[in-house]
Amino acid sequence: MTGSMQHLIVAPVVLPIAVCAVMLAFNERRRMLKRALSLATTAALMVIAALILWQADKTGVPQVYLLGNWSAPFGIVLVADRLSAMMLCLVSVLGFTALLYSFARWDRSGPRFHVLFLLLLAGVNGAFLTGDLFNLFVFFEVLLAASYGLILHGAGEERTRASLHYITINIATSLLFLIGVAMIYAVTGTLNMADLAARMATVPPEDLMLLEAGAAVLGIAFLVKSGIWPLSFWLVRTYAAAVPPVAAVFAVMTKVGIYIVLRLNSLLFGGAWAETAGFADNWLIWAGFATIAFGVLGILSARTLSRVAGHYVLVSSGTLLAVIGMGGLELTSAMLFYLVSSTLSVGALYLIIEPVERNADEDDIIPGLEEPVFDDEYTGAIEEEENEKGIVIPGSIAVLGGGFIFCTLLLAGLPPLSGFIAKFAIVDALFSGPVISAKAWILITLIILSGLTTLVALTRAGIDLIWTPAEDSPVHLNVTEIVPIGLLLAACLVSMILAGPIFSYMEAVAADLGDASLYIDAVMNAPRAGEPEMGEAL
Amino acid sequence: MSDARLLILVLALPFLGSILAAFLPTRARNAASFMAGLIGLIASALLLSFYSTLATGQTVRHVAPWLPSLGLDFTLRLSGFTWLFALLVLGIGTLVVLYARYYMSEEDPVPRFFSFLLAFMGSMLGVVLSGNLIQIVFFWEMTSLFSFLLIGYWHHNQSARDGARIALIVTCLGGVCLLVGMLLLGHIAGSYDLDVVLGRGDIVRAHALYLPMLILILIGAFTKSAQFPFQFWLPHAMSAPTPVSAYLHSATMVKAGIFLLILLWPVLAGTQIWYLIVVTIGLATLLVGAWSAIFQHDLKGLLAYSTISHLGLITLLLGLGSPLGLVAAIFHTVNHATFKASLFMAAGIIDHETGTRDLRKLSGLMKFMPITATLAMVAAAAMAGVPLLNGFLSKEMFLAEALESQSGTLLDWALPILATLASMFSVLYSIRFIHQTFFGPPPVDLPHTPHEAPHWMRLPIEILVLACLVVGIIPTLTIGPLLQIAVRSVLGDRTPDYSLAIWHGFNMPLLMSVIALVGGVLLYRRFGGRLNAMTNSPFIGRLKGRRTFETVLAALIDGASALHRMVSTKRLQVQLRILIVVTLAAGSIGFLTYGYSVGNGPTIMLDPIFAVLWILGGASAIGAAVQAKFHRLAALAMVGVAGLSTCISFIWLSAPDLGLTQLLVESITLVLMLLGLRWLPQRLPEFWPGGRTPFNVRLRRGGDILIAVAAGLGAAAIAYAMMTRPEPEGISRFFLEQAYHGGGGTNVVNVILVDFRSFDTLGEITVLAIVALTVFSLLRRFRPAAESVELPVQQKVQNAFDAGREDREHGDTAAHYLLVPRVIMEWMFPIILTCALYFLIRGHDLPGGGFAGGVTASIAILLLYMASGTRSVEARLNIQPVRWISVGLMFAVLTGMAAWLAGYPLLSTYFSYLELPLIGDMPVASALLFDIGVFSVVVGTTALILIALAHQSIRTPRAPKPEKAPDKIPDMEGDT
Repeated sequence: MTGSMQHLIVAPVVLPIAVCAVMLAFNERRRMLKRALSLATTAALMVIAALILWQADKTGVPQVYLLGNWSAPFGIVLVADRLSAMMLCLVSVLGFTALLYSFARWDRSGPRFHVLFLLLLAGVNGAFLTGDLFNLFVFFEVLLAASYGLILHGAGEERTRASLHYITINIATSLLFLIGVAMIYAVTGTLNMADLAARMATVPPEDLMLLEAGAAVLGIAFLVKSGIWPLSFWLVRTYAAAVPPVAAVFAVMTKVGIYIVLRLNSLLFGGAWAETAGFADNWLIWAGFATIAFGVLGILSARTLSRVAGHYVLVSSGTLLAVIGMGGLELTSAMLFYLVSSTLSVGALYLIIEPVERNADEDDIIPGLEEPVFDDEYTGAIEEEENEKGIVIPGSIAVLGGGFIFCTLLLAGLPPLSGFIAKFAIVDALFSGPVISAKAWILITLIILSGLTTLVALTRAGIDLIWTPAEDSPVHLNVTEIVPIGLLLAACLVSMILAGPIFSYMEAVAADLGDASLYIDAVMNAPRAGEPEMGEAL
Repeated sequence: MSDARLLILVLALPFLGSILAAFLPTRARNAASFMAGLIGLIASALLLSFYSTLATGQTVRHVAPWLPSLGLDFTLRLSGFTWLFALLVLGIGTLVVLYARYYMSEEDPVPRFFSFLLAFMGSMLGVVLSGNLIQIVFFWEMTSLFSFLLIGYWHHNQSARDGARIALIVTCLGGVCLLVGMLLLGHIAGSYDLDVVLGRGDIVRAHALYLPMLILILIGAFTKSAQFPFQFWLPHAMSAPTPVSAYLHSATMVKAGIFLLILLWPVLAGTQIWYLIVVTIGLATLLVGAWSAIFQHDLKGLLAYSTISHLGLITLLLGLGSPLGLVAAIFHTVNHATFKASLFMAAGIIDHETGTRDLRKLSGLMKFMPITATLAMVAAAAMAGVPLLNGFLSKEMFLAEALESQSGTLLDWALPILATLASMFSVLYSIRFIHQTFFGPPPVDLPHTPHEAPHWMRLPIEILVLACLVVGIIPTLTIGPLLQIAVRSVLGDRTPDYSLAIWHGFNMPLLMSVIALVGGVLLYRRFGGRLNAMTNSPFIGRLKGRRTFETVLAALIDGASALHRMVSTKRLQVQLRILIVVTLAAGSIGFLTYGYSVGNGPTIMLDPIFAVLWILGGASAIGAAVQAKFHRLAALAMVGVAGLSTCISFIWLSAPDLGLTQLLVESITLVLMLLGLRWLPQRLPEFWPGGRTPFNVRLRRGGDILIAVAAGLGAAAIAYAMMTRPEPEGISRFFLEQAYHGGGGTNVVNVILVDFRSFDTLGEITVLAIVALTVFSLLRRFRPAAESVELPVQQKVQNAFDAGREDREHGDTAAHYLLVPRVIMEWMFPIILTCALYFLIRGHDLPGGGFAGGVTASIAILLLYMASGTRSVEARLNIQPVRWISVGLMFAVLTGMAAWLAGYPLLSTYFSYLELPLIGDMPVASALLFDIGVFSVVVGTTALILIALAHQSIRTPRAPKPEKAPDKIPDMEGDT
């Protein structure tokens, strides 16, 4: 690791903060400047994330950055391993597309959008990179604070209501986070995640109760973020109230919780230490099941597309958590693929909802199903006046319709996009063992059910919104709306075609996760720059 | 070009054509259809070139890695059977394209139609040519998707939308079952590769998971092939344009299920359970379809039910599990495709030329369209199983197999009878179709005057009918070799001897055929006239598949909504309660597992003063919680007391730095909250009818108290357990040792903040900045509630006093009221600022630091605002909080980045001592620059929030009352 490549790791955090510092110095009216700055930043973040990914994959060992040049566990470390790099890439793609989309009009509907947006990305990136529990708390605060601002963006009563709800829950959760960290620190005397993992083996038995209680409280904090039932009632409403580009980025916020659960579960309870191994697994599995089931119910009963999307976020979280609980190399790599695919696709859905619903005038976008009143085993000839001539679909509707179909396919896990591959991979992994457990069957059933309900709900909505002839003038679509949606869907298409290489990357990630010592060694043995002490060196 | 490449080309051509067609101009009818037809022809020709290879019994394979680690490779596989099927897909597809060119209206934007049609054709080819189980499912689902788009092509019609939706949901339901079934099959066989799986039939059939796997795969095949009880989607798919129906119902969509059953036949068939399920379902479908077809009045409806019945027949043949049954199944699949496609096209012509498909209206069309009539008659005769036509041959085989069935169940003797019955129905509806449409008196009241269709539109029918005839008359010379290749590729060594002869002598099948033919004719003569009057098919019509489907769906949605409401909440309180309870439960698990134990660390005697301090603090905290609902001011004051006791505790426990910071933070947040309090709407007192709090409310509150007490006790217990333990050998010792040596400061807390963990601090000041911006933008749009707009009582009294005296201006009293404090506060301003700077500079070595300094400076500004009022402060002092934030962040980030220049990681520090005149040695650390950044951000943050609150008072209220014109609002607002 040499030269500027070394500092690349910290760039996803520092770059947005620095750009924001500059942007704050300019008047809010300089919109084009701010757009240019923020778009360039998100584009740069994509490049940086790709470089980090390339580097992490090439070297195969976690890249460690010692902030302030203090060695672990005393200073704060950033760790870019394959998993973090992957998450960085995911959030940067979503960030770039959502920001571009916001230029259509959303960034004008309130002050300081660009700053808040970039700082949200900084917080999320920091959470993915940090190797320190308290630093993680700080970045959670950064991303939460930014999300408070973003959810309020655009104002309006429903937004304010939903966001106050959201803020309250999250402040309570942050408190739990602190309590959990404090308890773990009291037992182990460290905040560094690698050091913590290494010390797990040496925790005296009489302290295990505090350790597990601390881990449980901490876990609740992350699970609230990832939207687990019954702690997720705020989520759907909040996401639905947010403006579309914000909701799209929020899709990745639940994944922050998932990421941390995955990271800590594999580091702390990964099985190397018999006493606490697999401590959370069963809870995760059942809570995951409950969350999927709740999401399925929600999707079925949803009357607006944004509620479908919100509940799909829950389904996705539930699936991921249950799979994390089940563990195993194959399942984990399938889960990671699913994570990427579902995040991108739900992001695309949040972006496409608004243009699709733009011409709908009722509150209930998806019509309720009534029992058919007519008797219709098809015996008689069609009596209604049928028009057997196709109508010309305006370009914008065709694009919207195509995009909507793609989203539907992705979310329902149907070919030809990555959703199918993800579903296939998970079920395949569940079948791969010698004995197929009851839990595996439950999960498969839930996955299948969630796919079907998503299909039913989205088809009903799509047919109603896109196919049903309307008197309104056709939707006017902006290029800045089409391009981001197209990019996200293209990303899903590419991940279907390149499923092979992507999957081998995911397998490498899963293997890394299975071997905590890799992470621990990399962090604990990371060399300081310019030994001896810097104070003397200069 | 190699075989493999050719195969890829065959599969890719329709998809390429589809994309191309999508970009053609809206009215490019000729170009689109020409291109689509050409693609069909080229692909067919390419496919034909494989004949010689396949005739030798070889299989063409092409494997490209796709997702190799999961056993999913892109595999193309061409065997005799799939070749025959692919030819059918392409051949009939090409004819349908030709037909559609003339069928679709000129105004129709057909390129879209052809785009979907080609994509559908490609997907169907994909199913047929796949050599990997998962890949089959992949294309299978794509056929569902494109058939959805095709059925819903005229989506401005309600029936098209409904039909498309039902088809999609039913077939996708089957699709996911199929996926799981295929995954199980792959799991059992150890590979997803079709050829491997085909070789492991014995293992598969003996496996414990055979039954669930079989059921899942069968659901997939049966939904697609419209088998009972999933048959209801098919008639609704009739809303599609007729070319689509002709294609979907003959060679493709519905045949996909049949195709799959034939393909996997060597693996799955041959067990008792296979026989029972498949034969029963096939038989039920055969009878239900044939019976319902009799009572249809819509030409396409009749054909749709007839399709269902024929699909049932093929399924039944496959269920029998005998090689001869398989031969008959393949043969009938091909035959059915030819006569059904031609019949649909004929029906389409009739519809096109007369404007109706209602059998009750049609009559005597023979005179108007003799050629179409002749063609339709031949095709219908093939459907009815009249000798010398292809339908007859496969039907004979079917009847023979029905007689041969040996399962030892009731089905053995029932099968021949029911088979004959179904054949009789088939004859009946075929006659009805022909007789009703083409014979009898000339039609009256038709929307159009009927006439013959253009020649090119009839050509596809002519070709197909010719095929029916040729195959029916000289089977061994035409279909014989093709069928042989197909059968051999499926059955291999088990290929039975079979004869395609037209005449097998007088035997039972022939007798049954004759009975069916004669019976059908007689039945039509007897009941034919009454059919037109019937509105529903007897018995079967009561099944109402569609209605059941919609009802079930609606019930599911209603049930889900009800359940969803039960297990969720919209209320914040409930959500918070759940959060606390869940946390409590999760936190107790560890204690329940390992027990609770107090640590054995050194304990100290409790100091009575300290105890009093804590009792005071605790009581205030509880009091604040009690008062929070109705007496916000009192609650805030008590929160202040609790905060102060925390500060004192810090100092008591020798943490002056924490104490100082906490004290400053307490004061500023308390004041800011008090300022905000002014704008909160008044809380209405609790009112319950009769003055009694309802029981359920009291119950809820009691529960809440219990939860709160439990959570509090839990936290206390944890804290006690934590603090009684000896400190673990952690990282804190390092900080104490290294603070001066490595960080250049003697104030360890500050060194931690700006050096060891300066990254945290960078994050935290970012949080501060965000919060300030958020508060500002929230309050920017904030308009207080109407009842809060009113002036406080005190100000009203003051104003009334002013108004009552001539020598007083409005607002004088208010201004004079705080005169003394104002002077003091203004004088304090520079002193506090100096103090703030002092805190900042000395922070690295003594209690203080950027944060404490920043808060102190903000207090100075706050006092100024409170003393002088918003307007007068802002007239004299231009604070630009956002600039402060911006500069602060830049300072912090740039200080951190400066380390890069020396090749060190971000936020590495540098320190030395500076000789200053008079003052002497002054420690200078780069951390100080960082701390200046912190200082600046803190000042900017608090000032921004303060300004946001202060500006509420100089805003135009939402509902201004006459006496409250904005210019008359005095400066003295926002005080408490």
